[in-house]
Amino acid sequence: MNNLLKSFGPTMTAVILLLAGTWIIGMIVGPQLIMVEQSLWHNAKASDAVGVSVRIDKLYNEVDLLGFSKADAEAMQASPERDRKIAGIAASIAEKKALISKLEAHEVKSTRAYSLRNYAMMTGNHIAIFFKTIAASVAVTLIAFLVCYPIAYTVAKLATPGKAALIMLGLIVPYSINELLRIFAWLMILNYNGVVNYLLGLIGFDPVPFLESGAGVFIAMVYAYILFMVFPIYNAVETLDMAQIEAARDLGAPVWQIHRRVVLPHAKPGIAVGCIMTFMLSAGSYAVPYIMTRGTAAPWFTQLIYNKFFESDDWNVGSAYAFTLLVACIMFIFMMMRLFKVGIKDIAK
Amino acid sequence: MSGPSQTSMGQGSRIVLNVYLGIFFIYMFLPLILMVAAGFNDFSPPSVTVWRGFTLKWFGVLAADTRMWQGLINSLIIASIVIAVSLPFGLAGAFLISRFNSRFNGLIYGIMVSPLLTPGIILGISTLIFWRNIGVSGGLITAAIAQASFISSYTMLMFMARLERQDITLEEAAMDLGATHAQVFRRITLPFLRPTILTAGFIALLQSFENYNTTIFSIGGSSTLVTEIGSRMRFGLSPAINVIGIIFIVLTIIFATVYVVFRQKERARAAAR
Repeated sequence: MNNLLKSFGPTMTAVILLLAGTWIIGMIVGPQLIMVEQSLWHNAKASDAVGVSVRIDKLYNEVDLLGFSKADAEAMQASPERDRKIAGIAASIAEKKALISKLEAHEVKSTRAYSLRNYAMMTGNHIAIFFKTIAASVAVTLIAFLVCYPIAYTVAKLATPGKAALIMLGLIVPYSINELLRIFAWLMILNYNGVVNYLLGLIGFDPVPFLESGAGVFIAMVYAYILFMVFPIYNAVETLDMAQIEAARDLGAPVWQIHRRVVLPHAKPGIAVGCIMTFMLSAGSYAVPYIMTRGTAAPWFTQLIYNKFFESDDWNVGSAYAFTLLVACIMFIFMMMRLFKVGIKDIAK
Repeated sequence: MSGPSQTSMGQGSRIVLNVYLGIFFIYMFLPLILMVAAGFNDFSPPSVTVWRGFTLKWFGVLAADTRMWQGLINSLIIASIVIAVSLPFGLAGAFLISRFNSRFNGLIYGIMVSPLLTPGIILGISTLIFWRNIGVSGGLITAAIAQASFISSYTMLMFMARLERQDITLEEAAMDLGATHAQVFRRITLPFLRPTILTAGFIALLQSFENYNTTIFSIGGSSTLVTEIGSRMRFGLSPAINVIGIIFIVLTIIFATVYVVFRQKERARAAAR
C-alpha cells in the first residue's frame, strides 16, 4: 500500500486498485483461464440419449392426441360426466408434460467431461499445419532480422540527422498503413492476373499461381510484419555510444567484428523484442492467410482455429487449438529471453 | 552526434549501403504506389496492367457504399469505448506499478504487458468465451473489450514513462501545505499527465481503428470498417478498396510527417539546451 496510500489517500487508492484489478482479472487473467478451462472439457451426451429423445417425441404425440380428445369432450353437453372426463384428460396431459420436461432436462443437461480429448483432436493434417505455421513464422522472423538490422543501424548511427529523419519517415509511413491494405497491395501484385504474372508473360513465361501455392502468404507476411523488427532494434542501437564503435575501429577491428562484439551485444534487447513481435504477429496472423489465399491454399493454423469457432461451432476444440498457439508463442518468448539473456522488463518498455 | 562516421566509412561500403537502402524503400513503397494507381484506373477489378484511363469514379462508388459507412460508425463507437476504458485502466496500472512497492510488482507488471505479447486472435477468442459465459454474445461491446485488454497495456506503458519523470516532491510539498489528496491529484498529478493523456488517447484511437485480428474473432455478426474491408478483399475486389487505401495513405503521410518534424524539433531543442 505504502506510497500509493500516501500519494492518493484511501478513496483514490481504492479506485485505482479497483480499476487495475478489473483490467488484470476481468480482461487478462480471467478470460485466459476461462479459455483454458473451455479447452479441457467437452459435452458428453448420456449414453441413452437417442432412446430418451425418441421417448420425448412419443410423449409429445400422446399429448397432442389427448388434446384432441379433450377438445371432443369439451364439445359435449354440460354434465358431471363431461367434467369428469375433461378433468381426467387434463390430469393425464399434465402428467405427461411433467414427464416430458423431466426427460428434456435430462437430455439438455449433457455433462461436461474433463479430459485432454480436445488436444488429442489435433492429429495428422492439423499437426502438420501447426508446425508449418510455426516454421514459416520463424523464417519470416529471420528474414525480417537480416533485412532490418542494417537499416536500423544506418538510421541510428550512420546517417546525418536530416537523412535519418527522411529514412525514419520512409519507415513510419508504410508501418502505419493498415495491415490489410499492405496485404491487399501484394494481392494485386501476386494475383493470377497480377503485376508479376503480367511481367512474366511479357518475357514469355506461363503465369505462376502464387496464391494457390501458399507462397503469396509468405511473401505478404514478410512485407506486412518486417517493420516490427526495425523500430525495436533502432531504439536499442541508438543508445549505443558512438565512442565505443570508434574505439573498436581505432583498435583495428574490422567491420564485422565491430558488429559482432560491440553493436549486436548492445542491441540484444531490441533484437529480442523485434523477433518476439514479428514471430507473434506472423504465427497469430489471420488477415494475411485469409486475404492472400482466398481459400485456395492450405490453411494457416489461425484459420483452423477460426473454423473451429465459427464454422464447426466447436468452441472446446477451438480453445484447445488457440491455447496450443499461445503456448507456442510463450515458448518462443522464453527462448528469445534465454538466447539474448534479457528479462521481461527489457522486453516490454 | 551521428554524423562524423560518414567520413570514416569507406566509399565502397557507402555505395553498397545506399543501394541497399534504395532497394529496401522500393520494396516498401512500390506495392503502395501500385495500389494507389489502381484506385485511379477506370477498370475493375483493380489493376495497373490494364490501364483504361484516369478516373475519380471509385471515390463516388465508395461514398455510396452504405455498409462501409456503417462499418465506419461501428469503428468509431468501438474506438470511443476503448478510449474510455483503456485510459483509466492504463493510468491505474501505471500508478500501481510506480507507487505500489511489493514483491509482486514483477508479476503484476508481467501480466499487464502480456496482452502485447499475445496473438491478437487469442485476446479476441478468450474475451468472446468469457463474456458468453456471462450471457453476452459477440458484438461491438465484446470487440471493444477485447481491444481494450491490450490497448490498456499501451496506455499503461506511456503513463509509466511519464510518471518516471515526475518530480514527486511537488506532490509532497502540496500535501505539506495542507492540500487534500483529491486536490493534489487534480492540481498537480493530472496537469502533469495531460500531454500523455492526449497522446495515449490518440494512440488508443488509432490502435482500435486499425485492429483486425482481435476484432474479427470477437465482434460476432457486426463489422467495423476494417473487418468490412477484409471481407471485401476476399470476395469481389473493387477499386473502391484502393480508394480507401489512398485515403489511409494520405492521412498516414500527414500524421507521420507531423510526427517526424515534431520529433526533430524536440531533439533540436533538447540539443540546444
